[in-house]
Amino acid sequence: MSASPDLSAMSARQLRDAVASGGISAREIAEAAYARAESLDTEVHAFLQLTPELAFAAAEKVDRARAAGEELPPLAGVPAGIKDNMNLVGTRTTCGSRILHNHESVYDCTAVRRLLAAGALPIGKCNLDEFAFGSSTENSAFGPTRNPWNLERVPGGSSGGSAACVAAGMASVSLGSDTGGSIRQPAALTGTVGLKPTYGRVSRYGVVAFGSSLDQIGPFGKTVDDVALALEAIAGADPFDATSSPEPVARYAAAPGEGVRGLRVGVVRGMLETEGLAPAIRAAVRDAAETLAGLGAEVGDVELPSARHGLAAYYIIGPAEASSNLARFDGIRYGHRCEDPADVIDLYMRSRAEGFGQESIRRIMLGTYALSAGYYDAYYGQAQKARTRIIEDFRAAFSRFDVLLTPTTPETAFRFGAKVADPYSMYLNDVYTIPVNLAGNCAVSVPAGLDPAGLPIGIQLIGDHFAEATLLRAAAAFEAAVAFAPVPPLVRSLGTPKGGE
Amino acid sequence: MAITESDVRHVALLARLALTDGQVATLTAEIGAVLGHIEELQHLDLAGVEPTAHPLAMTNVMRADVVRPCLPRALALKNAPASDGRAFVIPAIAGVGEEA
Amino acid sequence: MAIDTLIEVLARYEAVIGLEIHTEITAARTKMFCGCPVAFGGEPNTRVCPVCLGMPGALPVPNEAAVEWTLLAGLATECDIALWSQFHRKHYFYPDMPKDYQISQYDLPFCSGGFVEVEVDGDGVAERADIGGSMPFVGPEAVAEGSGYRTRIGITRIHLEEDTGKMVHVGGAEGRISGATHSFVDFNRAGTPLMELVTEPDIRTPEEARRFAQKLRSIWLALGVSDCNMEEGSMRVDANVSVRPRGSSEFGTKSEIKNLNSFKALHDAIEYEIVRQAATLDAGRAVSQETRHWDAGARRTSGLRSKEEAHDYRYFPEPDMVPFNFDPEWVDSLAERLPEMPDARRDRYIAQYGLRKHDASALAGEFAFACFFEETAGIAGLDRSKQVVNWMLGELTALLKAQGSELSDVRVTPAMLAELVALIEDGGISGKQAKDVFAEMAETGDPPGAIVEDRGMKQVSDVAEIEAAVSRVLEAHPAEVASYRAGKQTLIGFFVGQVMRETRGQGNPRVVNEALRRMLG
Repeated sequence: MSASPDLSAMSARQLRDAVASGGISAREIAEAAYARAESLDTEVHAFLQLTPELAFAAAEKVDRARAAGEELPPLAGVPAGIKDNMNLVGTRTTCGSRILHNHESVYDCTAVRRLLAAGALPIGKCNLDEFAFGSSTENSAFGPTRNPWNLERVPGGSSGGSAACVAAGMASVSLGSDTGGSIRQPAALTGTVGLKPTYGRVSRYGVVAFGSSLDQIGPFGKTVDDVALALEAIAGADPFDATSSPEPVARYAAAPGEGVRGLRVGVVRGMLETEGLAPAIRAAVRDAAETLAGLGAEVGDVELPSARHGLAAYYIIGPAEASSNLARFDGIRYGHRCEDPADVIDLYMRSRAEGFGQESIRRIMLGTYALSAGYYDAYYGQAQKARTRIIEDFRAAFSRFDVLLTPTTPETAFRFGAKVADPYSMYLNDVYTIPVNLAGNCAVSVPAGLDPAGLPIGIQLIGDHFAEATLLRAAAAFEAAVAFAPVPPLVRSLGTPKGGE
Repeated sequence: MAITESDVRHVALLARLALTDGQVATLTAEIGAVLGHIEELQHLDLAGVEPTAHPLAMTNVMRADVVRPCLPRALALKNAPASDGRAFVIPAIAGVGEEA
Repeated sequence: MAIDTLIEVLARYEAVIGLEIHTEITAARTKMFCGCPVAFGGEPNTRVCPVCLGMPGALPVPNEAAVEWTLLAGLATECDIALWSQFHRKHYFYPDMPKDYQISQYDLPFCSGGFVEVEVDGDGVAERADIGGSMPFVGPEAVAEGSGYRTRIGITRIHLEEDTGKMVHVGGAEGRISGATHSFVDFNRAGTPLMELVTEPDIRTPEEARRFAQKLRSIWLALGVSDCNMEEGSMRVDANVSVRPRGSSEFGTKSEIKNLNSFKALHDAIEYEIVRQAATLDAGRAVSQETRHWDAGARRTSGLRSKEEAHDYRYFPEPDMVPFNFDPEWVDSLAERLPEMPDARRDRYIAQYGLRKHDASALAGEFAFACFFEETAGIAGLDRSKQVVNWMLGELTALLKAQGSELSDVRVTPAMLAELVALIEDGGISGKQAKDVFAEMAETGDPPGAIVEDRGMKQVSDVAEIEAAVSRVLEAHPAEVASYRAGKQTLIGFFVGQVMRETRGQGNPRVVNEALRRMLG
């Protein structure tokens, strides 16, 4: 048996292959992951809960299967983080909120179950902005996660913990959720690959709902190939989710090798011209366009004229759906209940006010207002009409192009507290990612390099509905051409493990 | 569209949130600011545009009328703030005023 | 509450009544949005899952059988079926609501624009002060037999939603909410598929409301969609009542009456409410729009005082499910699957069995009765239908009333009743004897033939035996024979009595009479 694997240096696919060939045991991988967590997570705080019992049990199952000569599943032995808004029996699912601070899952999220059925080891539940409301993980009731690239800066959000654990090598893949950019934006800020699947591609059963018509569960990884592997494991129709699609699941992990010759790539010019876009990011997107052209893609310009209204539409639809989805947190059947309620109304009002954080209260209030009598047409109704326009824009764009190219975020990782004073300034982080959720398309953020401050930059590629195979092919080609294997300084400073790669 | 503190108190009641006066004041300003930012929506000419019914073009998704396993009661009550092992316990309803 | 008071009030005020009827689709095996089984009672919180408990992350998936049943219910009540429909979320906080919103329907209900025709006869007619009415409606026509009228009650909509959990209140009076210190919440019922039917405000009297509810129940039972058990709550009726001065076309303020556990309560509560509202207006005060609770013991409605602001349900389309887009041909094929409805069954009984309309209505209107009748008539023979009807609407109905039981509870079976009718017709026993046999078979469950045997009740119809008895009687009373033959024909009664004594009451009257006349000359 070899020495402890360097999880930062090995991809999920490599780990799985090593386990299958007998080079490493799943148990050793689990130990390496927890050793890494022990040295780093006090500072990074990617995890809210570590789950070694579950991880070692899963590892043992893999190792026994290997010893018995059985064929191993595609993610056997791969250490995985799970965003703490996804249910898994044997864990707490807190959603980063005091209102669920000791909530124990009584059933499994389908996507999580599928990931684990593929052999992944559940290392722990990852930190998030409370109920997925946020772009920095500062809204977690249990303290923020720090960006492994710079501990003074945010990892992005809401899936900040999921992104950070992969960036820091505490896990090889992780699951996050994306409603307005909550996978792609932290991926960009942490130098990881993060994919939001087409709406309906992955079951939502078991992930605590934020925006029911916008949410998708998706994977983080260090490489496009790892993300493709994870997507293949979790995608597919689910009888427990009436909005999951019967579209057949392609072999996404096979797709990346094909290259982009002849692929039509549309650069969304309007997004490159927005005020507030960091010059380094603008340059990275332009470079990406050139890189793809150099690989044989047909690169052109495209407009999504209604996309600029996406933020406004999203900040009505999202909070409206969220206010409804969060009504169930009432202190009756689970969750925080206030002390000595005088009657049931008192129970509701104080339990909810005590349990929810500021951003959650803001969104519940905004959403309730938007749906309330007399305001529905002006707000929710109008926003859903604007959404139709955005969908039409994407449909028109995809009649001419196979993949669209935009920045993922307007800026790289910002400092803690930088955007807390003005909530709307935080919302602006998602200006490029939000329209994709409104239209239901798939999109991926791929690392493109570092900015002058040494912080990761991500570029976003957007695909047509259920065209993840094409999207991942383009992303893989770009990744290979850029040949940028980001390892945060924090991780590099750990030094190479004895006898490592 | 300006939102007033009275609006905010009303919405807080609808949403069953006990807000302090300070929170009401802050939220009035914050929500007002957000509404100001998204006011552009009101000025868009969207006459004749259908609101998005659903991001997917699917219809008629249903399930067969077949029994599935239930949750054991112990799990159903596992996270209950108060229970007697059989049912969820709550304080007096009086004052709630709603009946299905 | 004297009916005179109501009638006096209705002479001056017109009552405008609409009903909201919730019916659990007990024909479905599972809940509306999850696979938990649908049933009544059971240990609390044992028929639940993450979905119907509203656990974080759970999602609803609609039950296709429940959707079909709702469409069938609409077709059975002449509704238009919406080809494009969807669920909406209806928000309100209440402890028996697992998600604090109910998945229901808003502006795209599955069914709309139907109607049910209701006939009112008997005492109920007096409640209708003006047969003409100031609201548009069909009719009235005098019902064929006796006085009465027919009216058409419009159905605004039938939509599908999920039922709530149940609460048991502890510490208050009679388990009521007021005065309770705490409550227990059970979610077994939460998620049960529930049809909500809303009528147009076409109902004008308490009796019309009762008849409508009864008619609707008979339609639902014929359809098989629900067991319509008002005690168990699988059928629940709320009434919206307002009054306005006769001649006025503006609606008065309405109150909503809840907690109506029987059709009688429905009638009496509406009656009380009409009189109460009239008295309020007579005294120069305004009627407040409120929910009122019927107290069956005190026989009055009382207002539920609440701190609650007016409901703002914040409806929006349910994003966790996709819309419905039905194929019109498929909907038509559903219509072909409709079983026979009560009115059609009534007409068939008149045609096929030759029953009078009143009897046909009585049998057809009660599904269990109708099934019992057809089975009995099937065994007894078409030509004996009328006798079967008489027994069912006579002795059997009286028995059910006296015992306070349902048809399914009694021991009399269609086979037994058919046998009883045959015994009478074939001369085995007399009508009076049959009543005794009926009473015994209802009590013991023994077939009538056995009872007749045991009690030696069999009627003697054998002509030779009767003639022998007649001979003995004539021999014993020569003076009367002579008188009869001399012209005193009234003595026939005396002779019949004697022969009956001779045969211990078992002589077949017809045979006895014939034999006497023959042998007396």
